[in-house]
Amino acid sequence: MSVTSAVSSDYNSGVSNVPIEHQFNPYSDNGGTVLGIAGEDFAILAGDTRHTTGYSINSRYEPKVFSVGDELLITANGFAADGDALVKRFRNQLKWYHFDHKKNLTIKSAARFIQHLLYGKRFFPYYVHTIIAGLDEEGKGAVYSFDPVGSYEREQCRAGGGAASLIMPFLDNQVNFKNQMDPDSNGTAKKELKYLKLDEVISLVRDAFSSATERHINVGDGLEILIVTKDGVRTEYYPLKKD
Amino acid sequence: MSNPASINGGSAVAMVGKDCVAIACDLRLGNQSLGVANNFEKVFQFGHVFLGLTGLATDVITLNETFRFKTNLYKMREERDIEPETFANLVSTSLYEKRFGPYFVGPIVAGINSKTNQPFICSFDSIGCIDYSKDFAVVGTASDQLYGMCEGLYEPNLSPDDLFETISQALLNANDRDALSGWGAAVYIITKDKISKRYLKSRQD
Amino acid sequence: MNSIAQQFRHTNPAHEAFQDNDNEFFESGVDLKMAPSITVPPISQPTEFLRAHTDDASNPDCKIKIAHGTTTLAFRFKEGIIVAVDSRATAGDWIASQTVNKVIRINPFLLGTMAGGAADCQYWETWLGTQCRLHELREKERISVAAASKILGNLVYQYKGMGLSMGTMVCGFTKKEGPTIYYVDSDGSRLKGDMFCVGSGQTFAYGVLDSNYKWDLSVEDALYLGKRSILAAQHRDAYSGGSINLYHVTESGWVYHGNFDFDDTFWKVKASEGSFNNVDA
Repeated sequence: MSVTSAVSSDYNSGVSNVPIEHQFNPYSDNGGTVLGIAGEDFAILAGDTRHTTGYSINSRYEPKVFSVGDELLITANGFAADGDALVKRFRNQLKWYHFDHKKNLTIKSAARFIQHLLYGKRFFPYYVHTIIAGLDEEGKGAVYSFDPVGSYEREQCRAGGGAASLIMPFLDNQVNFKNQMDPDSNGTAKKELKYLKLDEVISLVRDAFSSATERHINVGDGLEILIVTKDGVRTEYYPLKKD
Repeated sequence: MSNPASINGGSAVAMVGKDCVAIACDLRLGNQSLGVANNFEKVFQFGHVFLGLTGLATDVITLNETFRFKTNLYKMREERDIEPETFANLVSTSLYEKRFGPYFVGPIVAGINSKTNQPFICSFDSIGCIDYSKDFAVVGTASDQLYGMCEGLYEPNLSPDDLFETISQALLNANDRDALSGWGAAVYIITKDKISKRYLKSRQD
Repeated sequence: MNSIAQQFRHTNPAHEAFQDNDNEFFESGVDLKMAPSITVPPISQPTEFLRAHTDDASNPDCKIKIAHGTTTLAFRFKEGIIVAVDSRATAGDWIASQTVNKVIRINPFLLGTMAGGAADCQYWETWLGTQCRLHELREKERISVAAASKILGNLVYQYKGMGLSMGTMVCGFTKKEGPTIYYVDSDGSRLKGDMFCVGSGQTFAYGVLDSNYKWDLSVEDALYLGKRSILAAQHRDAYSGGSINLYHVTESGWVYHGNFDFDDTFWKVKASEGSFNNVDA
C-alpha cells in the first residue's frame, strides 16, 4: 500500500506524484556531558547544564544530575525525554521499595534494578548513557555506568555523553595514572594508585569540563557537581563559558 | 566503517613551547581491525620543517613523496630550505588542487622559522583549509581524545623537556582510547639549533 | 521481503510473551514465558526499526551504539576446562572500556562467556543463573551443562530475528558429563565441543591455541596457554585488549586465576619467551 500526494505550493506549482515516506524517528540528542568519580569515602556525579537540539540552545540551566534519596545520585544523559522518563521511573520504584521493605536501597541493588529498567526496553531502547554514584555497603565511593540497553559495570570513574571521548582519556591519565611512571624508578615502575582527595577531584572535574566546553559545541553554560559523603548530598555550581 | 580516512588508523599532534615546538605520531598501520605494521611513522621532515600526515596510508605515502619532490625543487630554485609558513601554503595549495577528489589525509605542520625564530604550527582539513594555532594542533582517528588531552594538559611557554612530557602524555593517553591508533609512538622536539627524536614505549594492544 | 516471509511463518512466540506477562512461575517444566516483558516499538516492523537505530554495520550514523568486539576462549583438557577472555569494549573505533568483565559466573559450577552485545550476554546469563537455581530446587540436583545451555539456546531462539547479539560459551563440570563446553549463539546454534574461540580476535587465539594444545597439558601449562592465546589476539586485533581474566573449571567448581593487565603481561611474556619480535623492546 502506498500513499501518494498531490502537493503544490507558492514555491512549486508542479504537482508531484512521489509517495510520501514516513519514518518512525522517536529519538533526538540533547547534548551535554556527565562525569562520575568515586573517591575513598565519597563519590561525585557532575554534569553541564546546557540543553540543546542541533545547534540551538534550549536552556542554559537544565540540571540532569539528580539526588534521588538514599544517598544515590543518578544521571541519564543523551535523549533528555528518555533520561527524564528513566529517572522518573526509578524514583517511583524507589518509593515503592521504601513502602515495601522499610529500608534504604543499596547502590548495588539500584544498579541491578536499573539494568532491568533499561533491558526492559531492549527492542525500543532508552537513548541514554546512565551513570549512578553513591556509597557502597562499606562506605566506599561507588560509580556504576550503563550502556543504553543495560549492561553495567562498577568503575572508579566514567564520563558519558557528547564529550566523553574528550574527557575519558584525561581521566585515565589523572585519576588512574595511566602512562605515568614513578619518577624515582627511572621508568621501571608504574606510578602507584592512590585515592584522590575531594578537593583534588573537584578541581579535576572543573578542568575536564572547561576543556570539553572549549572544544565541544554541546557542552557549556554551567557545571553542577553533586557530592555524596557519609554526611549526605551537597551541590556545587560553577559557571562555564556560554559561547 | 568504510570511511577511507579511518581504514588504516593513526593520529598525530603538534605543540608550541617556549622557543620550541614538538610534533608526535603513533606507529600503527592497520587494515581495519587487523594490526599490520608497527613502524609506520607519520611525521616527515623537509629541511627544518615537519609534516604530520594521518589518514589513508596510500595517500600519506604519496603526499610525503610529492612534498619531498616539491621542497627539493624549492631548495634548488631558492638556494635555501623552505620555511614552515611557506610550506604550510604549499600543503594547502597542493591539497586544494584535488578539491573534487581529495586525498583522505589530515596533515599538521610544525617548525621554527629560521629567520624570525618564531615557533609555527598549523593543521589542515583534507582539502587544504589552514587552521593556524598558537598552542596545539591535532589530527587523526584519535583527534577527539587528543583535543581532550591537550586542552587538559597544555600550558603556554613550556621548556623543551616539559613540552616533551606534555605531548607524550597527550598522545599516549589519547591513543589508549582509540582502537585504531597506538602500537608505539615517535616524538620530535624541535628547538632553534637542535632536533631530537625519541620513540615511546606504549601499550601494544 | 520481510513481509512476504511473515505470511509463511508461525507467529513469533517472543511477540506473544510481550503482551502477556501474567504467567506464574511454577508451571510445568521450564517456562520461558517467565522471561520478563520487553517493550517493542509500536510499529509494524520492530526489527527494521532496531536495525536502523542500533546496527552500526548497516547504518554507521546510528545513535545507539551497542558494544562489539572481543576475544574469548575455552578449551577442555585432562584436568578440566580453561576459560580466558579479554576485557575491552568498543563502540566503533572508540574504546569505551578496558575493564569489562566478560565471564559471567552463572553459579559456582557454571561459567558463561560474553561476546557480542554486552547487555544481551550479561542480562540473559544472569537470568540463566536463576533458571539453574530453580532447576535445583525442583529436581533436587544440579543442572547439567547440556540442560543449562539448552535453556539459553531456546531462549535466544525465541528471539531470533529480533536483533539479539551473543556468542557465548557455557562451561561447567558435572559428575555425569565431566568437563563440558557448549557454544551458544544468537542465531540459534548450540554446539558441544572441546575448544572454542569467539569474537573479533578468535582467529588469532585459535592460531596460538591450535599450535600448542595437548589433551595432557598440566593445569599450569593450560592456564598459560589460555592466557597466551588471548595475549596474541589482544596484540593483533584492534577491538580486543585491556586485560586477561583467567578461570579453571574443575569438578569442585570454577577457580578464578586472576586478572592480568595486558601491558605488564605482554612485556613479561616477550622477554621470557623471546617472542613478539615484531615489537621493539
